[in-house]
Amino acid sequence: MQYKASSRPALKDLSFEIDKGEFAFLIGPSGSGKSTFFRLLLKEDRPTSGDIWLGEFHVNKLKAREVPKLRQSIGCVFQDFRLLQKKTVAENVAFALEVIGRPRSTIQRVVPEVLEYVGLEGKHDRMPNELSGGEMQRVAIARAIVNRPLVLLADEPTGNLDPETSEEIVDVLDRVNRRGTTVIMATHDRHIVDAMRRRVLEFDNGQLVRNDQQGVYGIG
Amino acid sequence: MRAHFIITEVLTGLRRNATMTIAMIITTAITLGMFGGGLLVIQMAEKSQKIFLDRVEMEFYINPEVTERDPQCESDPCAQLRRGLENEAGVTSVTYIDKDEAYKRAKEIFANNPDLAENIVEGTLPASLRVRVSDPAQFDVVLNEYSNRKDLGVDAFKDDRKLVQRIFSVLDGVRNATFAIASVLAVAAILLIINTVQIAAFTRRTEVSIMRLVGATRWYTQLPFLLEAVVSALVGALLAIGGLLLAKKFFFDTALKELYGVSFFARIELADVLFVAPWLILGGIVLAGATAYITLRVYVRE
Repeated sequence: MQYKASSRPALKDLSFEIDKGEFAFLIGPSGSGKSTFFRLLLKEDRPTSGDIWLGEFHVNKLKAREVPKLRQSIGCVFQDFRLLQKKTVAENVAFALEVIGRPRSTIQRVVPEVLEYVGLEGKHDRMPNELSGGEMQRVAIARAIVNRPLVLLADEPTGNLDPETSEEIVDVLDRVNRRGTTVIMATHDRHIVDAMRRRVLEFDNGQLVRNDQQGVYGIG
Repeated sequence: MRAHFIITEVLTGLRRNATMTIAMIITTAITLGMFGGGLLVIQMAEKSQKIFLDRVEMEFYINPEVTERDPQCESDPCAQLRRGLENEAGVTSVTYIDKDEAYKRAKEIFANNPDLAENIVEGTLPASLRVRVSDPAQFDVVLNEYSNRKDLGVDAFKDDRKLVQRIFSVLDGVRNATFAIASVLAVAAILLIINTVQIAAFTRRTEVSIMRLVGATRWYTQLPFLLEAVVSALVGALLAIGGLLLAKKFFFDTALKELYGVSFFARIELADVLFVAPWLILGGIVLAGATAYITLRVYVRE
């Protein structure tokens, strides 16, 4: 798998690849281009020039009607969880399959499996406002991986969580990664990056300033 | 799954957006009702015109001096006039009405109006020749040819069409007014649909953003909004049809009873309303569907 993106002014003159099955951290100050990179991968934005590849998808050349297929291959997790407050935990996860037209039998089989996988057994019928932050993020992860995506994009998934809960969430992401899904996580959490010793891509002012195979957060 | 999911979404959407939905239903109902009323008037006018054309007559009044000499139109010039009219192309019948007959008819016509009837004095009404023409195109030809033939004893003439045309111009006016109001209302309905769809999409922006993120197709994301508008329009159309049926029963049947009596007018039948009904439904669906579709394309980002 390879990505190559260039866009101005949010991102410019950068080229890198992340292999299938990798766990990569994107670090850098706010506004350095991490979120723009995610938006480019999802084809929510298009680069002014350059090429973006995700597996078989030539992202910046995709036709509008092919975009859903691309997005079905990508799972997304955000700092603010983005759960539907009027649906239960199980319904939130099922929603992601319903809206892409998966059959009911599949949904009934897969949703309990994935909830157990992220550690939410017994909480299927809770409403989001009855959950802790960590639990909400687990629901979001379950929703993101329930369709077995190639890539999981996590945009500061621990930004709203305490250190202990953050570690638990990263554990879940790590397990997802070990199952074969590429994980790309944007973060400001130096402890997590240092503890994991995985690929680190550092952005600054729209440019790639560091690309380490087993990196740390950095000095200062 | 698909259908079940979309139906649930549509019903939830309509419930959450209840006030706008009701406003949309009422506006479409009135718009379509007015259009339907206009269509009924057109139908009535067309049918009435047919009846009228079958019965329309012209009448040539015979100079009293001629009638004095020849009360039964047996010799020239009256007989000559009669033969001439009978030989014209398109003329189906020529009837001579002598003075007695004219008096009797006048009494009948004003039977309900004793004051006027009293003033009709026997022997004062002129005799006449009534001419019925099968082909309306021939009407003017015949009329123009004989209306000024004083030499044949024509004193004056009456063109039935004048009266009927006046009635039809009233109907045309009613029709135009209904369509004008309906058009203005249609604009209001369209604006309301545009707003409702946008509000519906905004109310559910979280759902929509998640749907897009997990790769739902455009149709899947937007079909619920489109269907909400269409369902509202459908309900509006049904209300409009119900309204037309009520209008037929309580307005056309009752208030126009007098006019029906004249028998120039075709009645508005149940079949007429049923004929208009599918067009109202179709019109409502197309209006709402197209408006919602364009709104979603223009205002709601993919």
